[in-house]
Amino acid sequence: MAVTPTAALVQTLNGIQFGFILFMIASGLTVILGILDVLNLAHGELFSLGAYTAIGVFGFIIGIIGPPGGGVVGTAVFILAVLAAVLVTAAILLPVGTLFEAVFLRQIYDRDQVYQLVLTFALLLILLDVKKFIWGDSSIRTDAVYSAINAIPTSELVGLNYPTYNVFVILVGSAVVVGLFWFFERTKTGRIIRATAIDREMATAIGVSTDRVFTLVFALGAFLAGFAGAMAVPPTAATLEMGTNPLVLSFVVIVIGGLGSLRGAFVGALLVGVIRSWMITLYPPGEIAAPFAIMALILLVKPEGLFGTWGETA
Amino acid sequence: MEQTTTDHDTGGIGRRQLLSAVGSSAVAAALAGCSTLLSDGETADQSEQSGGEISDEPIQAGLLTFTRGAPGVLGIQAQRGAELAVQRINEAGGIGGQREIELDVVNEGSNPLDSYNQFIEEGKEVTFGPISSGTHSQIAPEVEKNEVINVSTDGTVTTLYEETVPDPTYSFRFQNYDIMEVVTMAREAVERIGADNISTVAGVNPGYSFGEDEMRVFTQAIQRLTDAEIVYEGFPELGASDMANHITSINNEEPDVTFSSLWGGDVTTFVRQANANDMFENTTVFGTTLYSAAGDVPGDALAGTDIYSGSRNYYWGLPAPGNWQPGRELFDAATQQEGVTVPTAHYMSGYGAVTAWATAVEKAIDLLGTYPTQEQIAQVLEGHGFFTPAGYHNIAEDHQGASNSFAGQMVYDDDLGAARLEDVNTYAATETAPPPGVTGSDWLDSWSA
Repeated sequence: MAVTPTAALVQTLNGIQFGFILFMIASGLTVILGILDVLNLAHGELFSLGAYTAIGVFGFIIGIIGPPGGGVVGTAVFILAVLAAVLVTAAILLPVGTLFEAVFLRQIYDRDQVYQLVLTFALLLILLDVKKFIWGDSSIRTDAVYSAINAIPTSELVGLNYPTYNVFVILVGSAVVVGLFWFFERTKTGRIIRATAIDREMATAIGVSTDRVFTLVFALGAFLAGFAGAMAVPPTAATLEMGTNPLVLSFVVIVIGGLGSLRGAFVGALLVGVIRSWMITLYPPGEIAAPFAIMALILLVKPEGLFGTWGETA
Repeated sequence: MEQTTTDHDTGGIGRRQLLSAVGSSAVAAALAGCSTLLSDGETADQSEQSGGEISDEPIQAGLLTFTRGAPGVLGIQAQRGAELAVQRINEAGGIGGQREIELDVVNEGSNPLDSYNQFIEEGKEVTFGPISSGTHSQIAPEVEKNEVINVSTDGTVTTLYEETVPDPTYSFRFQNYDIMEVVTMAREAVERIGADNISTVAGVNPGYSFGEDEMRVFTQAIQRLTDAEIVYEGFPELGASDMANHITSINNEEPDVTFSSLWGGDVTTFVRQANANDMFENTTVFGTTLYSAAGDVPGDALAGTDIYSGSRNYYWGLPAPGNWQPGRELFDAATQQEGVTVPTAHYMSGYGAVTAWATAVEKAIDLLGTYPTQEQIAQVLEGHGFFTPAGYHNIAEDHQGASNSFAGQMVYDDDLGAARLEDVNTYAATETAPPPGVTGSDWLDSWSA
């Protein structure tokens, strides 16, 4: 198949867009791993919970403001409402993360890592049943957001046929990247979290409450998973099984980037997103294998991943 | 209620033949939806015929279907169809006038073979389902070993009775299978666009045996009907959330025809994302099972699309409700059930599988005067003709069910609150299926180019 330059650009953009969704999921996973040393198997279900929750929140908020109005102001109001809905969804996940850490995980930090794996797997199963209990077995969708944002002619301005919603994901994803790095580099709380990651005992010795930091970090991870779920759901549907594939790919991403490295998660997510996209285009059977092949290759060359562990550098 | 049935609607057979095909029982009439037709004194009372020869123990039946997730969009249709058929049988007095059916439904899920074996251990007298071709390929050999009849609702892979179970005894399939629905859509593409106008074809199909089978058959069929070149084939996994790469590839190629056998929730994801990428400006989509998402796909996603879809064995508007009221009655009854916005072909998969088996058992009781064995039911099912509200169906000696198939433009109907087919063409089974004993591939090869 001959690929035109335009199609090549669009396929690359498709990969970048998918990479940003992956980063939003993997960032929470990697921050929890970097600080708490916990591989959270329930993270994909938190992403899925965000998607389900977002459908209700989108419906509520858009129900209040009505359909997107005409003109620049009406469009801006609608986009702000969508962003507000995404943030509200993510905020709803905050207490869920807090509860998980304070009630369950805190009891087993001192035990072997296998306890954490079993516990987070149990939380995964519980979340699956909770979703089934609240929303039922069938997939559910939100119809208003995707088509309304796509109605905004953005890519046509540069002569490109590309959905505006994907542009929206890339822009919001970029803001999340900048925001996270700013938070960990520039804010006091962020520096305390990094200090705890680098040397937990020293942080405790200078008065940092590791309990509080751990709860905060797990809640932040849940917030990011919920944020990703809310951003990912408008073009597709919320289904009971939707947490599995992103979780597996997120593991690949954080292994490529270096366990616990935020910068590594960013680079790894974009790498996996773009290479997967091109593999689907050029050799579709390689779609599933490609991310794992990259991971194996990087581990052979740099066993600690592209950026090593997180903390000293974000 | 006065009703008339034309020979056209009944596949060209007359009234006495129709009575014979339906079977002379209240159950058969209830399932065919033509009780008025049969209440003119030509039929004997079933309870008098069967007398005390038949026990009054309920028949334990099992249905394997998808009850959740993206595949649940059509799996629940099959479940509701089977449940309505069972309800109608029980209201008519049960099989043989005495044996009601108790239907146990389990999710096909990730361990369908375990669920099927559980049915057998529980002593089910008949099993229905599954939906998935992969599951059906696993189960069909077990059905033959267990010697308990299974009438599948779907599991439509062409190779099932050609390679997996080439000489079946107890395994039957109600549904029009892959080659039939694919040939329907290949003929539909030629009908709508014209053979001379189809030079390039792309495909987006589910990434497992069903989708690969459908694309292979479509390629063979369309290349016999046209000189088309296949320019792109994509196989997204079931439940994929992102189909943008396949859509971009199609936009790159701008094929005259894009063939798709995506089904259930995947249809909605594909159509929404394709619409957002302006794919319908570059190609016309022909899909075998796109209509399976009739109640799920939102109106804004279908606006401005150019999609022709098949409805394998049932479309509620055909045969014409004015001439064949049962289709409309089924539509109304189905929409009263939970989870059914519009009954689709998969609704008829469940309804028809139960009907095939029940009418065969009734026919066997008529012949034997007692309740038949599994082997006797299997013998009657071979070559069994029967009616449902979708019209006439036949299960040939190769154990494959066949009936008319339908194709039309998929549009959104605001009044219905769901998608419907517009400008529908009907294709007879003889146009879409190889004769028994001939493999699909050989049959397609035999077409003159």
